[in-house]
Amino acid sequence: MAKIVLAAGVPHPPRLVKEIEDSQEPLKSEAMFRQVRQHVEKAEPDVIIEVDSDHFVNFFYNNVPAFCLGLAEESEGPQEIWCPMPQYTVKGHVPMAQDLLSYGIGSNFDLAAAHELRLDHSIMIPLHFLNPGMEIPVVPLYVNGFAAPLPNAPRCFSLGQMIRGFVDQWGGNERIAIIASGAFAQDVGGPLRGWTDEEWVDTVSGLLEEGKYETLTGRATAERMAAAGNNSSELLNWITLTGAVGDTRPLFVETDNGSAYGVWELDK
Amino acid sequence: MSVYLVNKILYMTDNDADFRKRMRDNAEETVKSFPLSGEEIEALITGDVGALYRMGVHTFFLNHLGRYNLFGVTRENYLERIRNGMDYDPRFDQGEMPVQCVPEEK
Repeated sequence: MAKIVLAAGVPHPPRLVKEIEDSQEPLKSEAMFRQVRQHVEKAEPDVIIEVDSDHFVNFFYNNVPAFCLGLAEESEGPQEIWCPMPQYTVKGHVPMAQDLLSYGIGSNFDLAAAHELRLDHSIMIPLHFLNPGMEIPVVPLYVNGFAAPLPNAPRCFSLGQMIRGFVDQWGGNERIAIIASGAFAQDVGGPLRGWTDEEWVDTVSGLLEEGKYETLTGRATAERMAAAGNNSSELLNWITLTGAVGDTRPLFVETDNGSAYGVWELDK
Repeated sequence: MSVYLVNKILYMTDNDADFRKRMRDNAEETVKSFPLSGEEIEALITGDVGALYRMGVHTFFLNHLGRYNLFGVTRENYLERIRNGMDYDPRFDQGEMPVQCVPEEK
């Protein structure tokens, strides 16, 4: 029987690969990605479901789905020429993505589906560190994080529960890792760039650590997330993750610069 | 208001190499080829990030103005420009813009 063996949340600073190269001293982000990667290696996943928000690279306002599954055999990224990191080809897992799409529709989640994808840095930075060589196939699950109005947090939590339900009935033996990509509190390109809503970061990380996922879901209103900056709605990806982990509490949630690294071990 | 088209121009600048070349060769002529309002064209060609922000252009797209050095907007002056016209907020004093540069076309 297939099972979710690991869930992890990480940020995706677009220049991180270069920053690590250029830095004279070890960076916290480098150490944290290494730590998360050790948990991924230990969990030995066969498939990664990556919950992410496209940054207007794959989608534009002409057509933005609330939720979209990637059904491509393979995709390339990062597409942004300003993101200094290696270019990769990422394998999909079409049979699983196709069945997740059908299961979702059957569960009243009207997911969109994309058979071609242009992967952005927010998908690729986590994979660069956590899926070296891009050997593990990836099912991208996009949550609209930036083209308001966004899906609400309870719906994202339910989406995560649906994914858990899907995996529990999937006929294969795959070991599945769910990776959520995103920040808690940042204002990218906005007038408050550089400021961090530490109060919100502490609230979010505290509720995650305590396993109070439904409380977090209730507090993560569109207004509260927007007050923490335009990028803070990436929290919806973490909330989707928490819907999939059941009662399991994280091994750790370590905050860093308005974002965080967290790991849930589910291989019990 | 055609804020949608302003967003689209900046989206294409980032995602479409041919369009990016048009913007780099003659940004003013390129944006004037779109049916924008006079106010939008004026804000774009003067690099008035604050005015574009108040019109509702998405900050992810505004960021491309500085990233691609369009209409006099740079990484260094971007924050000052987007805050132009806003009341002072003590949160402005915290943190800085990261330095980013755009590589040459591949």
